Formats: sequence, C-alpha cells, structure tokens
Amino acid sequence: MSSAVVASLLAMHSGGKKYLPALQSSQQAEQKQQLWKVTTMDPKFAEASQLFGRFNAALTRNDFDSCTNLLSQLKVMLTEFKSLPPLFEKTPNTTHELTLAREVYEHAVILSVKMEDQDAFERDFCQLKPYYTDACDRIPPSPQEYPILGLNLLRLLVQNRIAEFHTELELLSPSALENPCIKHAVELEQSFMEGAYNRVLSARQTVPHQSFVYFMDLLAKTVRDEIAGCSEKAYDYLSISDARQMLLFSSDEQLMEYIKEEHPDWEVKTGMVFFQKAKETAHSKEIPSLQLINQTLSYARELERIV
Amino acid sequence: MTQDVEMKDRPTPSNSVSSAVPSTLQHLKDIALLIETGSYSKEVRRIARAVRFTVALRKKLTTPVIASFLDHALGQGSEVYSRISVYLPKDDEHDMEVDTATSANLAPVKHLLPELEIYCYLLVLLFLIDQKRYNEAKACSSASIARLKILNRRTIDVLASRLYFYYSYSYELTGDLAEIRGNLLSLLRTATLRHDEISQETLLNLLLRNYLHYNLYDQAEKLRSKAPRFEAHSNQQFCRYLFYLGKIRTIQLEYTDAKESLLQAARKAPVAARGFRIQCNKWAVIVRLLLGEIPERTIFMQKGMENALRPYFELTNAVRIGDLELFKSVAEKFANTFNTDRTHNLIVRLRHNVIRTGLRNISISYSRISLADVAKKLRLDSPNPVADAKSIVAKAIRDGAIDATIDHEKGCMVSRETGDIYSTNEPQIAFNSRIAFCLNMYNEAVRALRFPPNNTHKEKESAEKRRERQQQEQELAKHIAEEDDDDF
Repeated sequence: MSSAVVASLLAMHSGGKKYLPALQSSQQAEQKQQLWKVTTMDPKFAEASQLFGRFNAALTRNDFDSCTNLLSQLKVMLTEFKSLPPLFEKTPNTTHELTLAREVYEHAVILSVKMEDQDAFERDFCQLKPYYTDACDRIPPSPQEYPILGLNLLRLLVQNRIAEFHTELELLSPSALENPCIKHAVELEQSFMEGAYNRVLSARQTVPHQSFVYFMDLLAKTVRDEIAGCSEKAYDYLSISDARQMLLFSSDEQLMEYIKEEHPDWEVKTGMVFFQKAKETAHSKEIPSLQLINQTLSYARELERIV
Repeated sequence: MTQDVEMKDRPTPSNSVSSAVPSTLQHLKDIALLIETGSYSKEVRRIARAVRFTVALRKKLTTPVIASFLDHALGQGSEVYSRISVYLPKDDEHDMEVDTATSANLAPVKHLLPELEIYCYLLVLLFLIDQKRYNEAKACSSASIARLKILNRRTIDVLASRLYFYYSYSYELTGDLAEIRGNLLSLLRTATLRHDEISQETLLNLLLRNYLHYNLYDQAEKLRSKAPRFEAHSNQQFCRYLFYLGKIRTIQLEYTDAKESLLQAARKAPVAARGFRIQCNKWAVIVRLLLGEIPERTIFMQKGMENALRPYFELTNAVRIGDLELFKSVAEKFANTFNTDRTHNLIVRLRHNVIRTGLRNISISYSRISLADVAKKLRLDSPNPVADAKSIVAKAIRDGAIDATIDHEKGCMVSRETGDIYSTNEPQIAFNSRIAFCLNMYNEAVRALRFPPNNTHKEKESAEKRRERQQQEQELAKHIAEEDDDDF
C-alpha cells in the first residue's frame, strides 16, 4: 500500500472522529499510527482497516446507507480474525486486531444512536461488551468506554428496564461510577425513582456527551406519561393551563390531542380537567366468596391430614 | 464472604473402637474402614458420615499423621501414594516419620478402592488449606479433579462434591476464581449426565458464587433459572443457594422474593456459621428497608452480630426517621463498610425510601400542609424545591405510599382520613398467608423425615403393624406429592 493512500486514509480516519472531539487524545492517535504500520504486514487486516476508514468517512458525512452497508461487510470480515472473542487465540498482532474490532463496534453503537435505532444499539452493544469485560487485560482501555456504557444505561432507563439497569450498574467499579457519563445516568435514575421529574428534564441541558441527547428526548416522553399517571391520582382536577404546563405542552391543542389519545377517561369541561373517573374503580364492597370457599376447603383438607 | 457453613458434627463415642481417647491416626483409620464398608455395601450414607468425621478432625491434622495415614491406606510405594504425597509439605520431621514408617510397614500392596484414593486427596487438600499453602492446594485440587473425571461411581459422589467445593475455595483464596469457571461448567455438565445430584447442587452453587464474585448477576441468573431443580440433599448447600438467589433477586429489584430467600437462608443456616448468617442478615435488612419495612431491633441485637450489623442499624434508624441529612451522613460514615460488603449501590437506592418514610410521617401528622413546608421538612436541596416536592408527592400518592390529594391552586397537600383497615379484605389476606405458612411448614417437616433403608435397629412393633404404618406413611407422602402437583 502506498504511503499516499495511507496518509489520505489517515486523514479520513481522524476526520471521522470529529463528532467526538472531547474523546480524541494524542495517545489514541499514536496507537493508530502503529496500527497502520502493521497494516502493511497482514493483507486481511489491511483490508479491514481500509474498510473501516471508509466507514468512518461515511459516518462523518452522515451517509447512513453506505454506513450500514460497510458495517455489515466489516462485521463479516471481523469473524475471520481468530484473536477476537470468543476464541481469543494468540496471533502476532492480537492487540491491533482487538483494538480495531472494538473501534468498529464502538462506532456501530454511535451509528445506531445517530440512526435512532434502539434494537441495533442493543445488538451492537452486546457485541462490544466482551471487549470491555473479557479483553480488558489484552488491550489498553478505550476512551469511549464510559460514554458508551453511560449511553447503554440511559437506554435501559428509557426502555424502563430498571432491573437490567441495576445489573449493569453492579458491574461498574467505584471509579467508573465517578465518571460524569455514568454519574449522569445514575442520577437520572434516582430522580426518576423519587419522582423529581423536573430534575430529569433539566438534566437535558447538562448532558456530558452529545449522543446522549437522543435518549434524553425519549426520556422526556416517558416522563410525560409518568407525570400524567401521577397527576390523575394526586389531583381531583386541574385547570387546563396548569395541566399544559405540567405535561410540558406548548399549546392547549397539543394537550387536548394527548388527552384524547392517551387518557380518554379524563373529563374536560369549563376550562378544567377532571380526573375523577379514573379513580372511581378503586373500591368494591363485594365479598370474594369463591376465593374464600377455596381457601376454607384447603384448610379443611390440610387439617384432616394432620389429625 | 468466605465462610464455611459446615456442620460441626462430633463423632459419637460408640464409633471409636479401640480406646477412650484414640489418636487422630486411629480416627482416620476408622474413617477409612467406614469408607471401605460403604463402598462395598454401596451405602452412600456411610461415606457422607466419613466426610463429617473428617471435618471434625480437621484441627488435629499434622503432616506426620497424614503421611502415615496415606501410608496405611494407599500402601507405601504404590503409584497413587507417590502421586498424592507430593503435595504434602516437606519438612524434617515428616521425613523422619516416613523413614520409620517404611521400616515398620512392608505390607503387600492391596487392591486400592477409588473411594479411598479420592478421600486421601480430600484429606490432603483440607490440610493444605488449613496450613494456608494455597498454591499447593490449587495444584492438589486440580490433580484430584482430573482424577475424578475418569471415575464414575455413585459412592464417590459425596466425596466429589466436597472436593469440588475445596477446589473452588482454594482458587478463591488466591483470587483466581475466573480461571476455573469453564472447568466448573464442564463438571456440572458431567454431573448432570451422571445424575449425580449432590455434585450438581454443589457445582451450581460454586458457579453462582463464582459469577457473583465478579458481580455477573446477569449470567448467574441465566444459569440459575435454567439449571434443573430438585430436592436439596444438603442443608448447607441449600442455604447457600437461597442466599445467592436472594442476592440476585435484590439486584433485579424483586424485593419480596429476595426477602423470602434471604430470611430463609438466615434461618436455615447452622448456628456455627456466624459469618454466613451475618451476610444474610445484612442483605435482608437492606431488602426490607427497600420494601419500606423497618426491621425489628432484635435483628441487630443477635448474639455475636451486634458489631457487624452496627452500620446497618444506624442506616435503619435514618430510614425510620426519614431524615435525608442523617441518612447521608450515615452513608458517608460507613462508606468503607458498605463498599467492602458491596452493598453501596443498594444504599444509593434507599434514598428514595427515606423520602417516602419522611413523607408518610408528614402525611400522618398533618391533615393539610403547604408543599413549600413539605420540601423544607424533607430537606430537599435542589434549585426548585416546591416543584420537586409536588412531583414527589404526586408519585408517592400514585404508588400508594400515602393517601392524599394535592390542591394545586393553594399549593398544599391534603391528607385523606385513614380508612378502617378492618372494613377491607386486608386482614383476611394476612390471616390466609399466615395459615398457608404454617401448613407449608408442617408439610415440609413431614417430607423431611428420613428413614434408614434397611432397619438395622430393632423394631418393637410387630411386622404387621409396621406394614400398616408404612403404608399409611406412603399414602401420606403420595398425597402431599399430589397436592404439590396441583399447586404448580
């Protein structure tokens, strides 16, 4: 491979990182330099790196179609490297292969966020995870590890998968919990559980990373549903303007549409929203006779066995 | 967390054949005899008893005693002998002892039982762990595991399960648990194929422990939910299983189930296993707090646990009062303890329970209170306390923590009159759950009764009577089994 090509690829490569300026570090650049040196040795690796360069360029241009295309090619190519999980075989340039593969999956995750595809995010994250957990003693830690882990936590929060959220949290070391990206997600979960929703919403302004914005927007929708659910239990009635403010709508029309779609049982009259209807189903004075009979019969049967 | 839940059974006097105070060596020889008879008569119980006796002897083991026992059991100069004796620590005393033994014992090499061989491995392994020679213990246990893979005898199962345990334990002591995960998994597969339930039980626990050691709750739960369940063979293993299960469920926010498992584990654990019970109690306390319950004071005052549970006691106190400031200071004060117990993340979750309790107290004391006052009383330190208080109160109302409404115009919380609980179905539900608990306890007790396979002790009742009784018992057991089928 001619040096000119390498240089141009390198330029594209670093260009592809522009959307993550905070994460660029000189150390990473050095690594990349080494990476390219090895390229000349192994043709398969060279091909993969070249493809990755093109993928990165496409990602910078936000050309999602060619991105997905290149990414699936890359993934197929990665399956041929024996040093990658789950085989972890020793090959001459294990470190470089692992690092490349990790970067590919990291960018795949970023791509899925850009494309707003949550399923792809989950898939790519699962593929990426072994590089953080099982390969951490083979390659130096990635500077993007925490932002991506934070993103994943946020995704679990948005999808209301709290149990998985906590399972992931347990895997993080105390020092990782101090990282702003992780901390952000953890604090969000806390405010969410407490019910301090305006704190959740104001957290949008303090996102530690650009790509968090997508999930924060999704979270805002979840929060609105939560507020609506709480309000109908906590208030007897609300004026329309108060309700609009609380549910974060900019106009009364939007509010009306929301009520029509999500909460048809709310009653709107004389400038007020009444929640009474939703509450009335609470109490029934009926005696659960069938259940009682069953229980009593089972006591009788058990007692008979003892005596 | 490295506690050893072992029943400290003492050998009954009747078993020491020779004299009133037999030497350790004599004891070991008795045990070897027990294993031999067990092996010939295919009675697993005898071997289980042999293992229990060995544990009781553990403190008295010394290098010369073991050396001469190996000599006796395996035969000097045999291949197995040389394989096992490599692991014994070499010191002068030992060499001398061996010399005398060699001259004294020149008995012909008899046919060696595999049970006895495995037992010798176990004995040496126990000794090495007690002597803190962990690296030798690792080597010895790995060798014994390799040997075990070839043997397939039901009489070995008990010994094998103990060996697996110490195998994992020796790796844990040197901090290399991750290394043996693959091995344990393949052992579990083999044990399952051989219907070796005791080993299955032990290995499943070891794997769970292995995963939890690295906080891999996801993997642990996946393995646990897919592993076959059967009636527990050993109480200790069952306790451990319950404890691990409780931990997994706690992390996954299934607090009610977690509480049940943890409390059961704490109750079933033998009194001697203090460390284990402390762990169970710590987790149980947190889970109960997360559920919104306040554990009784007696839990923290259990004998021998006061100091260990102190941080959790203060934590409970903070939650009980509902004081955020106090809660924060307790969490900071004992941060180190919570970090080593790895309960820190759970404590963070508790914050919202503290707010809830505080809110409940306010709602009980005031029939009407402004949201600004609520925020002040809860000590919410945020830029917009009133808005926070409003949504927090709203959420508490929805979750059923307090019974109140919010008056938006006046900006205050109005508590509703607390209804008469006896006019609802609540008492009936509580009553039912208690009855179900007692009945279940009785049934489990009946099922746990065990009868020796051949009645060696003299039965006083006549043959006919006995037959009648046995028939009744069988019917009863069948009934219970059928009941169970109906239930699930």
